[in-house]
Amino acid sequence: MMLTAESIQVIKEKAARYPRRKSAILPALTVAYRQLGYVDNDVYREISEIISVPLVEIAEAATFYTMFPKEQTGRYLIQVCNNISCALLGADSLIGYLEKKLGIKKGETTPDKKFTLISVECLGSCATAPMMQINHDFYESLTPAKVDKILDELRAKS
Amino acid sequence: MFYSPVTTNANECASNPKLHLFRHVEDTSQHLLATYVKHDGYKAWRKVLGGMTPESVAEEVKKSGLRGRGGAGFPTGMKWGFIPKGTTKPRYLCCNADESEPGTCKDRVLMERDPHGVIEGMAIASYAIGCHLMFIYIRGEFGHCIERMEAAMREAYSAGHLGKNIYGSGFDLEMIVHTGGGAYICGEETALINSLEGEKGMARIRPPFPAIEGLYACPTIVNNVETLAAVTHIINNGADWYRTLGTEKSAGTKLFSLSGHVKRPGNFEVELGFPLKKMIYDPAYGGGILGDRKLKGVIPGGASTPFLTPDMVETAKLDYESLTVCGSMLGSGAIIVFHEGTCIVWTLLRLIHFFRHESCGKCTPCRDGTGWLEQIIHRIEHGHGRPEDLQALDDICGNILGRTVCPLGDAAVMPIQSALRLYRDEWQYHIDHKKCMVESHFDFK
Amino acid sequence: MSQHVKPSDPIITPTETVTFTIDGQSVTVPKGTTVLEAALRSGISIPTFCWHPKLKPVGACRMCYVEIERMNKLQVSCATEAGNGMVVHTKSNQVLQGRKAVLEFTLTNHPLDCPTCDKGGECDLQNLTFEHGYDDSRFEFSKRRKTMGITDENRTTFDDLRIGPEIVLNRNRCILCYKCVRANKEAFGEYDLGAYERGNITEINSAPGQQVDNPFSGNLVEICPVGALTNSDWRYKIRVWLTKTTPSICNFTSSGVNTLFYKEDHKNKMYRTTSRRNDAIDDGWISDVSRYGYQIVNSEERLKTPLVKRNGKQVAVSWDEAIAVIKEKLSAIQDRKGSVCLAGLASPSLDNASLHTFNKFCRTVLETNNVDFRTDYKSLPEKSGSAFESLCNQPFSIADIDRSDVIVVFGSDLTREHHNEYLRIRKAANFVHPRIYFMNPYRTKAADVADSEIVYNQGCDEAIITGICHAAIEENLVDGSLASKFTHIAGGQSLAQCAKAAGVDENDLRYVARALSSGKKITFIAGELLTRSIAREQIASSLTNLSRLFQLQSKGQIAVLARHANSVGAGKLGLMPTLSSEQTATLKAEWGTLPTASGLTTDQIFTQAAKGEVAGLLVFGANPMQLYPDKAFAKAALEKLEFLVVADLFETETTAFADVVLPISSWAEYTGDYVNLEGKSQTARAAIRPIEGTVPAFAIIDRIAEAFGRKLFASDSQRTNEMTALLSLKSSEMPSEFASVPFPSPNGNGGLALMVVDDSHHCGHITEKSPSLSAFCGETYAEISPETAKASGVSDGDAVRLENEFGRIVVRARISEQIRNSVVVVPCNFMACPVTSLQSHKARVDRVKLTRVSE
Repeated sequence: MMLTAESIQVIKEKAARYPRRKSAILPALTVAYRQLGYVDNDVYREISEIISVPLVEIAEAATFYTMFPKEQTGRYLIQVCNNISCALLGADSLIGYLEKKLGIKKGETTPDKKFTLISVECLGSCATAPMMQINHDFYESLTPAKVDKILDELRAKS
Repeated sequence: MFYSPVTTNANECASNPKLHLFRHVEDTSQHLLATYVKHDGYKAWRKVLGGMTPESVAEEVKKSGLRGRGGAGFPTGMKWGFIPKGTTKPRYLCCNADESEPGTCKDRVLMERDPHGVIEGMAIASYAIGCHLMFIYIRGEFGHCIERMEAAMREAYSAGHLGKNIYGSGFDLEMIVHTGGGAYICGEETALINSLEGEKGMARIRPPFPAIEGLYACPTIVNNVETLAAVTHIINNGADWYRTLGTEKSAGTKLFSLSGHVKRPGNFEVELGFPLKKMIYDPAYGGGILGDRKLKGVIPGGASTPFLTPDMVETAKLDYESLTVCGSMLGSGAIIVFHEGTCIVWTLLRLIHFFRHESCGKCTPCRDGTGWLEQIIHRIEHGHGRPEDLQALDDICGNILGRTVCPLGDAAVMPIQSALRLYRDEWQYHIDHKKCMVESHFDFK
Repeated sequence: MSQHVKPSDPIITPTETVTFTIDGQSVTVPKGTTVLEAALRSGISIPTFCWHPKLKPVGACRMCYVEIERMNKLQVSCATEAGNGMVVHTKSNQVLQGRKAVLEFTLTNHPLDCPTCDKGGECDLQNLTFEHGYDDSRFEFSKRRKTMGITDENRTTFDDLRIGPEIVLNRNRCILCYKCVRANKEAFGEYDLGAYERGNITEINSAPGQQVDNPFSGNLVEICPVGALTNSDWRYKIRVWLTKTTPSICNFTSSGVNTLFYKEDHKNKMYRTTSRRNDAIDDGWISDVSRYGYQIVNSEERLKTPLVKRNGKQVAVSWDEAIAVIKEKLSAIQDRKGSVCLAGLASPSLDNASLHTFNKFCRTVLETNNVDFRTDYKSLPEKSGSAFESLCNQPFSIADIDRSDVIVVFGSDLTREHHNEYLRIRKAANFVHPRIYFMNPYRTKAADVADSEIVYNQGCDEAIITGICHAAIEENLVDGSLASKFTHIAGGQSLAQCAKAAGVDENDLRYVARALSSGKKITFIAGELLTRSIAREQIASSLTNLSRLFQLQSKGQIAVLARHANSVGAGKLGLMPTLSSEQTATLKAEWGTLPTASGLTTDQIFTQAAKGEVAGLLVFGANPMQLYPDKAFAKAALEKLEFLVVADLFETETTAFADVVLPISSWAEYTGDYVNLEGKSQTARAAIRPIEGTVPAFAIIDRIAEAFGRKLFASDSQRTNEMTALLSLKSSEMPSEFASVPFPSPNGNGGLALMVVDDSHHCGHITEKSPSLSAFCGETYAEISPETAKASGVSDGDAVRLENEFGRIVVRARISEQIRNSVVVVPCNFMACPVTSLQSHKARVDRVKLTRVSE
């Protein structure tokens, strides 16, 4: 079992509130992703058992959305918005800056497995562009200085 | 401490009685129940449960002229009226908080800073349609919104604004905060319903319409966050009051997200009918073009709306009718401004890439068409455009427009069609000279 | 395939109609009909990919555009309800351009695999492109390839991926019409196939870590409009235009599912079976058994020459010689010991002509009444006009299942024995939403379509039914006078006692009672778990009581569903020792006389044979050694016989005992009629000529009779007329009074209850010979609950020994997703592992002990 007892408890509580079992698929995937940082076939199986929904429906839903990667990413998943409003304010340049700072290309993970850098679609922060989401937090209205500070803070965390 | 450090015109709203949605969003404790109640919170909900019939609530909203603020602009009261009378099936209200339209970041402010306002609006709408279990579907990336909404929901339950026999009225109302998994298409109402059911977020054919057969095959109403937040104020101040705001056909106020090449990007609440030029240039709002450069174009209502050229911007007003006359749409109210240093083809490549990525894959024209469009625009942008490409783009767009299950197909092609129409020489330049007419390079600093 | 484009009748025909114009033609259709269906019904063709007459429309492919006046956009006709006064154009310029556009999009990434793609010649995309598409393409980018999941180990040419024992997937060719996933989930209730990802990288694939091996998987290949899903069975073997088709009927179900056999033109070989949509029976779906069963016909192992036992060894002889031996030996017994010492067993999968000829031969040449077709049932109580018999002959309409508002399934593991009716019940659940209850001695897979499944103690079937009657009376749900009659005659036990004996909750019985009383159109079906019981007469009595009490016949249908292709035909033609008075009268009129000594049933034949009292036996198409539910009993009988003749397709354990073995032609090699479980007679046309050396059963018997100096029928039409007279006899009525039903006594304990079934991919003893069906399931297994597994320390796939006083077998354990009680379910279809050696024809419930075998 990869999901902790606590995660399973949360999933069951959330599932109980919906009129139909199947609606619990997204909440279950969200809880699993929060705990593990990825969701793969084995996790689908566990969820399938917990909420009593056929495995294939979990897999179909999970692969449809972008928030449930199948493999473990770096400890900090840096998602830079590259849609129009952010691009107009230098998202490409921000990505280039991060690539330089981290020493990796977009789509890659640093060798110490700490940072993964990807670009994503609109994150709903258009008026505070350019911005990025790191794991579950938003960092908005970025400047090179702010980016440096954020990376230093994250690097300092063990 | 606010999670989103976005600029708003809340100060103006605090002193202007016509502006109500943003009135308290600069108050750092507005999201807490105690502050909300101090600011007339749950007064409308009490009023509704204190003796109004569901029909009268719906009638008030209908009279107010409130239209859907998520993008479609459909009259809200009329939509509620589509629920079949006398149906014994449970009804559901879904608040659409899947804000993913590029350029749009307004609902976020309401959810993070005034979540109770959203809950109250949802509750009133639920009462009007006879719903006892309401959902708010928040996009999964909005971690802070979700935290705030869940906390507000818990407060509301504890204080008896939600739950069983609210205020002793005999009306029960439960609420679920449902989070998405990352899909723009789930902002489309039938895809949202599918996603809520646990299916993939694919759009459904209509009929049957959600008001007849929606969530779990029961009558369902899907409304945007801003729409529902406005309901509270309509009940508090009356439909007649709402009618005095905005224009005759576009009553009320709207939140606009201003982004792109302006000095003061932010979220601004103004009455409908507000001049677009003022929004962009007035120092209280956009403050003018970044770097004081020349304006090249504006997308007025989110990435899926056609472009406006500078001469259109001169006279355009921000309401449903005026923008339609200009050949565009009010949409979600996301105004994206770009100056003369922007390559149009570069812009369209961003947009079509987005739509192709977000297509749910159900119907052939959108699924296969957006991919093909992206491939052509990509090669034009990178200097390999062919003479027949522009005709091909026109044809393909024509084969997608109006031919898909849901409006995503239309959304994908309208910007392309308008760009081809309004900036054709720039496209031609790309093909003839194999490079951009204007190199778009934006530094972040 | 064109038959799938035929429109469907509405399930509940509304009384209102709408009238509108399509292509200038005025059309009137029931309200709710879509424009597409109305057009197809009027003979106007509209192209489609994603529409299927039996699935909910999705509007995904956009091929079915039409132009409707006063609607400015093209509308998809599959999802547009026809409205009064609509004016529809299906061939306007805009529509034609729209279709071209859709095909252009579809073809952008579709690989030009036609030269090597199995679907060529029957491909919807090919056909519609020719008819409606552009001549050329302006897409010159590289076509997208989907290769996720393809490794060096499983790489084949053309990016194919095997996703099941029979199904090969090519994702590049898929046009994402979603018919396969929709049919799999909606129509079959299976979850082994899914559509993953989003947008234009969406791909169809099996469920993670699973194979697509459900009993209906072959249909997915059939409905795929392109060559994305193909069959291994058909792969690269032949082009469809080189084949000829014959309309036929499946020989493995009692539903009479309509099929199409494909043979190579001018050659005597069969290549494929597909569906042949008949909305009254099968809706165009056939199970995998129906689909791949034809491979048995082509098997290399077919018997092709008669055998005669000489000095303990069976040697090949000519037909003349074999027949001569038969005549000699049977006459000798007849003279020496009398006709009562002769008997005949015929398989209920044989056609009407063969069964009737067999009957006539036994009764008029061998002059014995010892004839039976129930060759795999336990001890049969014989009583003329029995309740069981009447239930087997009740009017039943498969199509009425769709229209029912209450459906009860009693004693049937549907996905193993009645695939077709299971699909029909699913269809009702999807479209009409009836209340559905299942009642079984173990949890079945089919029950996920039900509102609830009541699992009762094995061997207590009558208690449940009587309990439901009591529940109805208690709540005043039935007519007062009937209630008091029931209580007086049959109301021995109370509801509480019935529930306790059956091991169920009283409330469960109340729900069923309420449904049966309030339902307006009821379908009540009972299946093999009852038919195979020694107590079937009692159970049937309790059912006829129930039917009478609830007056089911006036508001629906109640029937015991037959199991074999021609069980109903065999019954009507009188292949039984005791005949009804009508049958006796008819046969006497046709044949002159009938033997007077009362006849023996199958188990009585075996009893007498073991004693030496029955000395000669003919067995046509049956295999008691493998399928009779008491192997030792059958063996004792067969080995004692003086003379045994067995006619079958293959060598079996039964033929091994035979003095004469005759090679019989299969159902596909001659034209025959079969009566399905609705009582409908259908013709299965011959696909090919009889395999060299084999002879159809009826012809064999004709020849044997000739050897006796008798011509059974002056002409084929005489045979036909005789059968018609029998088949048109009125079926027996249900008993006109309530009957007292003895309460079942507690049934032994200790150990697991043994349930012998057909595997969902098999039927009887010959399907093993189909390579495809064996690929799905090739050996016996023991299906047990997770609790039983845990208690015995058994993991999935472990070898386990099942044993009791009668015998022991070793099989692989299969831990079930459904089963929760202490039963073990074992299929009977595999010669290598005869589960019947654990059964006793005297036991109501067979019990076994399960232990893990260390390997």
